[in-house]
Amino acid sequence: MAETILQVQNISKSFGGLKATNGVSFDLHQNEILSIIGPNGAGKSTLFNLITNFYRIDEGDILYKGKSIVGLMPDQICKLGITRTFQVAKPFSGLTIFDNILVGCLSKSATVEEARSKVDGILKMVKLDKKADEMGGRLTTLERKRLELGKALATEPEVLMLDEVMTGLKPHEMEEMMAFIMDLKKRMTIVVVEHVMKVINTISDRVIVLDHGTKIAEGIPQEVMNDPQVIEAYLGRSASHA
Amino acid sequence: MNVKKLINTKTQDGRMFLALGVVTVILLVCCVAPIGIYNKHIIIQTMFYAYMATAWNLMCGYTGRLSLGHSAYIAVAAYTSLILYRSFDLTPWLGMLAGGVLAMALMLLIAFPCFRFGLKGPYFTLASIAVMEITRYLLTSMRELTGGSLGMSLPYVKDDLLMFQFDDKEPYLLIILIFWLAAILLLWKMERTRYYLEAIREDDDAAAALGISVNKNLIKAALLSAFLVALGGTFYVQYYRYVDPTTICGSTMALNLALITIIGGSGTILGPTIGAILVIPISELLRTNLGDKLSGLNLFVYGILLIVMIIYMPKGVISIPGVLKHKLAARSAKEARGEGNG
Amino acid sequence: MIALQILASGILLGGIYALISVGLNLIFGVIKVVNMAHGDFLMLGMYAAYFLFTGLAVNPYVSSIIIFPVFMVIGYIVFRLVVKPLLGKAETETNTILATSGLQFVLQNLVLMLFTADYRAIQLDNGAASFNLGGIMLSANRTWAFLICLVLAVALYYILMHTRLGAQVRAVSQDRDASVLMGINVDRIYALTFCVGVAMVGVAGAIILPIFSAYPTVGAFFSTSSFVVVVLGGLGSFTGALLGGLIIGIVETAAGVFASTELAQVFSLLVFLIVLFVRPQGLLGKGARV
Repeated sequence: MAETILQVQNISKSFGGLKATNGVSFDLHQNEILSIIGPNGAGKSTLFNLITNFYRIDEGDILYKGKSIVGLMPDQICKLGITRTFQVAKPFSGLTIFDNILVGCLSKSATVEEARSKVDGILKMVKLDKKADEMGGRLTTLERKRLELGKALATEPEVLMLDEVMTGLKPHEMEEMMAFIMDLKKRMTIVVVEHVMKVINTISDRVIVLDHGTKIAEGIPQEVMNDPQVIEAYLGRSASHA
Repeated sequence: MNVKKLINTKTQDGRMFLALGVVTVILLVCCVAPIGIYNKHIIIQTMFYAYMATAWNLMCGYTGRLSLGHSAYIAVAAYTSLILYRSFDLTPWLGMLAGGVLAMALMLLIAFPCFRFGLKGPYFTLASIAVMEITRYLLTSMRELTGGSLGMSLPYVKDDLLMFQFDDKEPYLLIILIFWLAAILLLWKMERTRYYLEAIREDDDAAAALGISVNKNLIKAALLSAFLVALGGTFYVQYYRYVDPTTICGSTMALNLALITIIGGSGTILGPTIGAILVIPISELLRTNLGDKLSGLNLFVYGILLIVMIIYMPKGVISIPGVLKHKLAARSAKEARGEGNG
Repeated sequence: MIALQILASGILLGGIYALISVGLNLIFGVIKVVNMAHGDFLMLGMYAAYFLFTGLAVNPYVSSIIIFPVFMVIGYIVFRLVVKPLLGKAETETNTILATSGLQFVLQNLVLMLFTADYRAIQLDNGAASFNLGGIMLSANRTWAFLICLVLAVALYYILMHTRLGAQVRAVSQDRDASVLMGINVDRIYALTFCVGVAMVGVAGAIILPIFSAYPTVGAFFSTSSFVVVVLGGLGSFTGALLGGLIIGIVETAAGVFASTELAQVFSLLVFLIVLFVRPQGLLGKGARV
């Protein structure tokens, strides 16, 4: 088995009285694609926010390359090599696409010139090179998703966390995005939050299923999909008994 | 640094240096040309506001945190250097630095909790106004120290560089030119920070996710902005030789900086300067020519200008070439398509 | 005794603050726009009442009846020209702050040009200058202002809570988009809210004229106080604004007695800052709406 890069150990988070994440643990191995799935409100995005410390965890520990990253600010976590995207893409609307990517490139570049030299490569990678001078606020859904991905890639992450990059895409766009993500796997470790089962089956090495903030299953996609607990979580109690 | 690139007017940097050069040459010519004291006064005022608005823009234009209370930092420094001069004969050059440090301290006191608690939008603006109001009330109530609402004047001794006092307008013109050049070059050198601040302005979560330390950069911009306007505060006292709480610590001063920046183009290096060049001479002419009878006319026009700009050209005059280019490109694309169809 | 006197005077002053800030609060709560020129509409109301009094001998309490509809119209014009074009665009919050700041310049200097910077005060001839309530002195003018504030507050509260229109206004204030889907004409509600907000502060101007002099920049002073009151109570919270008014009224009266008026202002601004940092939604914001 490949080396473990990220260890999430028994983390919990409550909002008011509601336990959004309840004792979740998992390991992330180098150069794998791990999918996090679960019904709406299962706590998938919350898990992203906890790992990158946009929300502070109540309990547990998160180790990156053996060292705890709990309490580090989101920007420090990014500098260490963990970059996340947002479920609702957040382009810098008032900046050009070029500058959007450039801002990402700055995080691993000593000078602005160096960062500038990297932008074109990334724009080509996410197929936005023809739109370089457009403003970030004027993009289609697909382009927004690509820009979100491009900005994250610009930070040269070792662990890339993608929050629903497929949502809203047409089938052929989805195929394209899947191929792209599979290709990225050669260079980095990827965690995805996804809804579309076909995507999960195709790209994932392993899957974690969350329900009501608790991990209810973990394993290779085919195994997990047949787990009665998972079916119940998705379809409700009646379906699993039927 | 690649000199060739700097003088190439096709690049953005090149155009900026061309503009700096042109302004500097014009001002130097004005220094020696016989254009009269009044015109020189207008030029000094224009450059003063160009400098101040550049400093305001560094924080407010680039980060989108709209401070309408920057007068507080101007006033703190103006009073500090003036009181130090009057009481201890301290040269205003040093008093200015002391004022700058105090202004930064005041800014830190307010900026740290503001950014720490994530105050944005109207809440941040209201907090900035509250700080200004508090400062003004304190300046007014500390009568022994500040002269209260009557204000305080600068005793004129002699033409002396060390004491920052001159008989003629020219030295003031040169000094404010140097201030302005320094501020513009500083802003230009901070290219990385400028990108960070713009990213933070657009979306601070997205900026943090890309490795940008949001609070650190916001505080850096705020402190630098407070320090720069503080230096301007001392210049103000030395030039006008009089200061009172309502003028220097009131909302008109603060709003002026915002207005100038927005008219020129906020979040751009030269926008505030363009704004000052457009606004100040007109406003000054209105004020002197229409006399007492319509003493509010210049500010009345200001207000209308501000509203019209915000509604029709929120990105300022500096955005006009870009918009025109975009429109032309769109039109030619349309024509090309039209031909294709026909 | 002095404590009771402070309390009584503070409550009266608080009522005036609440009266002045109700319109600001209504506009922020529903349209989410901070009207920086709020105090200047108050100033306009004071001038309107002043000229009605000196020219036509209309008592300011009576002239409110004329001022309310006139200021609705002024509000509508301002809404169409200044606020409406900015709604639903990028950076609405900041841009409306700037545009209404510009409006502040326009209104103050318009009045300055028309009527000069002279202070204008009126002397009402309505019997006793103050009531004696068991040894506690209550200024007559302030008591009237307080009572009118109560009446207006109750009326507005009733309209908001018990009429179809009020329900629509509340719906828009809570969720603009959902209201559109429910078939509410949001633009109309916005315009109406802005008009009523301006009219309320215009009336407030008339009512405080017997107490405070009118001059072009008088609004700036009250603007700050209204922001303090409204933020303290919770921007957009109606009962919060009343509570905020009373708190600030009592605090300022007490600080004014024991220190100086200027320090009283500093004190209330400090309270304001602390509330902004610790509880920006105000004492009664969000959870306890309306």
